[in-house]
Amino acid sequence: MWSRVIEIMLGCWLVISPFIFAHPDTELTWWISDMLCGTAVILFGLLSYWRPARRAHLATIGVAVWLIAYAYLRSSEATGAAIQNAAIQNNMALGLLLMMFAIIPNDASKPPEPWRVPTGDTTRSGSSPQEPDDLPQSGTDRQLAASHH
Amino acid sequence: MTVSAPISSDSTADSHAATDLDAIPEPFDYNPSSWSQRIPICVIAMVGFLIATYMGLFQWKLIDSAWDPVFGGQTEAVLTSDVSHWMHKWFLIPDATFGAIAYLGDAIFGLAGSTRRWQYRPWLVVIFGIDVIPLGIVSAVLVAMQGLVVGSWCFLCLVTAVISLVLVVMAYDEVWACLKYLKRVWDETHDRKLLWDVFWGRRTAEGEAIGARFATPATT
Repeated sequence: MWSRVIEIMLGCWLVISPFIFAHPDTELTWWISDMLCGTAVILFGLLSYWRPARRAHLATIGVAVWLIAYAYLRSSEATGAAIQNAAIQNNMALGLLLMMFAIIPNDASKPPEPWRVPTGDTTRSGSSPQEPDDLPQSGTDRQLAASHH
Repeated sequence: MTVSAPISSDSTADSHAATDLDAIPEPFDYNPSSWSQRIPICVIAMVGFLIATYMGLFQWKLIDSAWDPVFGGQTEAVLTSDVSHWMHKWFLIPDATFGAIAYLGDAIFGLAGSTRRWQYRPWLVVIFGIDVIPLGIVSAVLVAMQGLVVGSWCFLCLVTAVISLVLVVMAYDEVWACLKYLKRVWDETHDRKLLWDVFWGRRTAEGEAIGARFATPATT
């Protein structure tokens, strides 16, 4: 889950970005975009810890695409010095970073869930009941896991 | 993970290999997805990340000068050249910062995945490969061209170019094993749906059987 932790930290950075880079009060869309995106990233990161929503971190890819698209949108309407605009660069850098972290699965060091049981073992005999991550990923098992936790 | 008794006796070796995370894929005599293969890649990529970040800080004007023991002021000439300004316009961030993010990506994609990710997460190995190999070669060529086009040389840029090429050499084996496995699945089945499932690391009977034959159990 290291990737989720980093996403949540990057989300916090996005939320406080308007203050760090001192967005002017007239740039209300920058304020809203940065804070909403940051909040969404934190939310998706936290939701990923909840087993039924464990793929919520993939939604962060959408936020990252928006951050990058918005950076290009705002840079095309401005010229010259505005390219240096900290808000644009912040969105671009955070978009790229979040895109990379968001595709990393939970428990990335382990095999994907369906591969964690030996060949032909459908009974879950080898896995401990305390660890829902060791359950196979078939539909019924997922519901079982969701209801147990 | 311990392996429980397989259901069919004739597939003892196969099922063992299928659950053995340290299995050795073709055509190698070691596992290119093992931690001892991947951690050094991540460490070297992080060195590239730190060097590129340093140059990015100069381009962001957060530090006043850029260190260069060989070419003196030429590093600052490169980092403030027209070429770098164009790239800043394309990427919206300084080119060194963009490079730093790419090196960080090498490390992230190098760290993620089990020691059998060449079979369990081919998509991740392919993304890792794209980040390290084509991007690494392009960036090394760009650094060389920057020296020729701008007419100045930048010592740290050259160091990062060497790092990029070293990473290509260190990373190709895992990508090669992964692509070879995907090609084997395609050659044996010509089943697009199966290839798609295998690419995304879904567990299928055919993919598992082919993977078991593709790998040999770890000797240690």
